[in-house]
Amino acid sequence: MHVVQGMVKVNPHGGLRGTLELTNGLVTIAHMIETRNNVRAFGSGSPTLLFSHGFGCDQSMWEPVANQLADSFRIVLFDHVGAGRSDLSAYDKAKYANLDGYARDVVEVARSIDTPDLVFVGHSVSAMIGALAAIEAPDLFKQLIMVGPSPRYIDDGDYTGGFDQQQIEELLEFLDNNHLGWSAAMGPAIMGNPDRPELGERLTNSFCNTDPDIARDFARATFFSDNRADLSAVPVPTLVLQCSEDIIAPVEVGKYVAEKVPDSSFVQLEATGHCPNLSAPDEVAQAIRHYVRT
Amino acid sequence: MKSRRQSGTMSGPDPTEDLLDLYENAPCGYLSLAPDSKILRANRTLLGWLDLSADDLVGKPLRDLLGTGGRIAYETHLAPLLRLQGFVYEIALDLRCDHGLVPVIANASEKRDESDTHLFTRLTLFRAEDRRKYERNLLESKIRAESETEQRDREAELREQFIAVLGHDLRNPVAALKAGTELLKDSGNLDTEDREIVTQMDSTIDRAIELINNVMDFARGRLGSGISLDLQRAPDLDRKLETVIVEAKTARPDRDIRSEIAIGRSVECDPDRLAQLLSNLVSNALHHGRHDAPVMVKAITTRDELEISVTNSGTPIPAHVLKTLFQPFDRGSKQGNHDGLGLGLFIVDQIATAHGGRMEVASDEGGTTFKLVIPSKESEQR
Repeated sequence: MHVVQGMVKVNPHGGLRGTLELTNGLVTIAHMIETRNNVRAFGSGSPTLLFSHGFGCDQSMWEPVANQLADSFRIVLFDHVGAGRSDLSAYDKAKYANLDGYARDVVEVARSIDTPDLVFVGHSVSAMIGALAAIEAPDLFKQLIMVGPSPRYIDDGDYTGGFDQQQIEELLEFLDNNHLGWSAAMGPAIMGNPDRPELGERLTNSFCNTDPDIARDFARATFFSDNRADLSAVPVPTLVLQCSEDIIAPVEVGKYVAEKVPDSSFVQLEATGHCPNLSAPDEVAQAIRHYVRT
Repeated sequence: MKSRRQSGTMSGPDPTEDLLDLYENAPCGYLSLAPDSKILRANRTLLGWLDLSADDLVGKPLRDLLGTGGRIAYETHLAPLLRLQGFVYEIALDLRCDHGLVPVIANASEKRDESDTHLFTRLTLFRAEDRRKYERNLLESKIRAESETEQRDREAELREQFIAVLGHDLRNPVAALKAGTELLKDSGNLDTEDREIVTQMDSTIDRAIELINNVMDFARGRLGSGISLDLQRAPDLDRKLETVIVEAKTARPDRDIRSEIAIGRSVECDPDRLAQLLSNLVSNALHHGRHDAPVMVKAITTRDELEISVTNSGTPIPAHVLKTLFQPFDRGSKQGNHDGLGLGLFIVDQIATAHGGRMEVASDEGGTTFKLVIPSKESEQR
């Protein structure tokens, strides 16, 4: 984060907004959020679609879908802090120990976009992050689109989330055993060579890079979350896009979400697996286009 | 060049590799997946590891081979990576079969056609029992080391807090005692015997204050941020050091303390800390030196250095004691019970080090000299 000196003008909606005097010029809060969350915008049209990635990857997993929609909508992509090319120095263990910290960031990103027509599209855990953000700041969001949502991953009484505690521990163990191309030295190296990303790419995975310690925290925040009670408070129209054969977010869970969210629609996709935004971008883009247009 | 096959009866190795055999019996496992992650084909090596037949495996989803952790990670990490970049290398996986887990390292890549349509995914798997065990051990050591460090940090913090509180709590009652004896000394109602008692009490209280300060400094120097200096260009270091001498003389009117303080220029230092150092050294000299011989204090500057030395006569310090003299809790000859905690010289050494200087000690029949040497360039003066 930048070291900021000077005055913050607090707007009537609350939160940070306005201009800050930096020692070397003028910088806006929006700019700080842009850097923190590696916010990228392209395309034109209305509404603006704000895409939020899930656990395990970064904004690049939305590109195949977003690129198709950029002809009719303004597209905003970002990385959650800790993922992709977000500002790792902004990572705060306490803030991001649960989904609320991520939701606060989404509210700030949404506010910095400054449009009356904002549709939030969240994949996987980001569906719930979006729900929390919309509850927090209902005026900022026009609609929510949830792709493969789950309000709770661990079974609880009559509720079937699909996992038990032990299985989540196994996932954490897998993450410990796999750095998936991450090395502490590599992040900055790629950051330092934005013009030549192939330098890193040759040797290792350059997408979806996550600091292993942060990945572990995010896994905990994700898989130990329970947002079932929040669903009834979602204040905006919501579309649930449900994959077939999704072991992370099974069909029953998607239906549960649609049932509990007051103003919701449910669409069953033909796409299989947990990442239809990558395995079936056409179908996902089509569903989004259809929903926001009607 | 000789013909490779000279006759039908001649037997010898055929240099042409049988690629089908290589696929089936390579020293690694091969696995091909359909775009929906269902298993299309597995080689004989892999089937052997898993003790399965091709019929058991083909048509099953890959997740049936993976544990839950691997399954979630495949969906959330590996599948997206494969789609985005077409390959993922060096994944540590545990394959499940009837007789347990087969730990492997896998590389995976997507086979795509000219129009970039995903045809299938190829995996190459290497058995990696030892490698994975080794990595797990490393990981466990790392986690253990981290948790131990965390534990130590917590304890250190607690210790520092304890010592800070202790120091504070001890200082208050001692300060009250000190104020009381000062008042008594000033009162005109004391007879000679009373006055002597009060003077002794006063000097004991000074000793107690010094001990408390030493403990506090030790706690900081040893456990915390090191002895902190308030560095300044001190023009009046002479006066500061003179004060220490006067205080020592007042406390011990029976002893002969001679001083030659001739610094003569300003010195970059923490004058309070140097006064504390001198006070410690003088107090040591008075205590350990011959009581009928003088204690000599000398403070001078050379072109590049400041030197402060304190000399006393008496029994030389044995060589083996000299070695550990500046260690905390070292009480020299281990005799007498007036030495306090043995922190004095440790703190002296800490103050010298914090100034970028050193302590020197020389001890023989002629006497014992402790000398502080810290760099102080004349040329740096303005």
